[in-house]
Amino acid sequence: MEYKITEKDKQDTYVVLPAYNESTRIQPVIDEIAEKGYNIIIVNDGSSDNTLDVVKESKRKYPERIHIYSLPINRGVGVATQTGFEAVLNFNPKYIVSMDSDGQHSPDDLDNVIRPLVTGEAQAVIGVRPLKDMPLSRNFANAIMNLLTRIFYRVDVSDSQTGFRAITYDALKVIEINARGYLISSEFIREINDNNIPFVEVPIKTIYTPETQAKGTNVVVAFKILLQMIKHQF
Amino acid sequence: MFLYSLIFPIISVIAIIWFIARYLKGKNAISTVILWSLFWIFVSVFALFPQVSNEFAKLFGITRGLDFIIILVFVILFYTVLKMYFIIDKMQNDMNTIVKEFAISNEITLDDEEE
Repeated sequence: MEYKITEKDKQDTYVVLPAYNESTRIQPVIDEIAEKGYNIIIVNDGSSDNTLDVVKESKRKYPERIHIYSLPINRGVGVATQTGFEAVLNFNPKYIVSMDSDGQHSPDDLDNVIRPLVTGEAQAVIGVRPLKDMPLSRNFANAIMNLLTRIFYRVDVSDSQTGFRAITYDALKVIEINARGYLISSEFIREINDNNIPFVEVPIKTIYTPETQAKGTNVVVAFKILLQMIKHQF
Repeated sequence: MFLYSLIFPIISVIAIIWFIARYLKGKNAISTVILWSLFWIFVSVFALFPQVSNEFAKLFGITRGLDFIIILVFVILFYTVLKMYFIIDKMQNDMNTIVKEFAISNEITLDDEEE
């Protein structure tokens, strides 16, 4: 029988949300996660819109569950996530999740993503997006990135570019993330593999809208990641 | 004597003095001073005695002295761009560290707004 996530498990979990110019999309995501009883670390990545005001609005509703950090300038999703990962250590969480703040990921998947950590089945989880739902260009870029992750980082995963991932506190302290941009997805996988952290893949839902498709790994981003992977070999 | 035969040695002397001055102030490594001094000495030699470039060209299997100088300039430009790339990359990393530390030590609270 499947383990049911308890309120205590949720209290022990912190969800890191990197946010760059997400003022029109982030609020429903935050509210839904907070309503479920999870703690949230929001990192405003130097947004030029009013993302910070919007997240403060959510904090008024859930002052104890939401923690906000703001980078004074835009440094990329990698640096924003790193900031969240470092900030979360101050709260002594058991489980840490990072997911996109644009509504692409469903908070309904949070229970499924942390379950393997809670039951001890794994110390890291990668949320795998269904390929059939993925737009063709994104699907192609993702296939390339999976191949590159296999070649450069010697890890075989179904979705190397997922932004939905979870890790235990102990494992998070071991891994070292330095990526500035979208390379963070592959780097996270490389780190858990290199440090022999047991991980599992969990299927997740993905909600594609024109806005969410504009972000993420397309062919241009894939090329930039390739250059960074080559650089990291030296 | 051509004008460049006069200008390039003057520029070379100024450049070498500049690199030595930076080394004395602790801003350059000795290897940088030696490397750039050699470069500017070569520039002066080529400017004063253009036929020398032919000898160097033959040494590397290149037919004309001018071709040798052009290739040399490309190599130096490539080295300079690469070096600048690494300097910028390091600065980006330093900037990320500062920005992250600043953000982590300044958690946004609602009290900030009310004050």
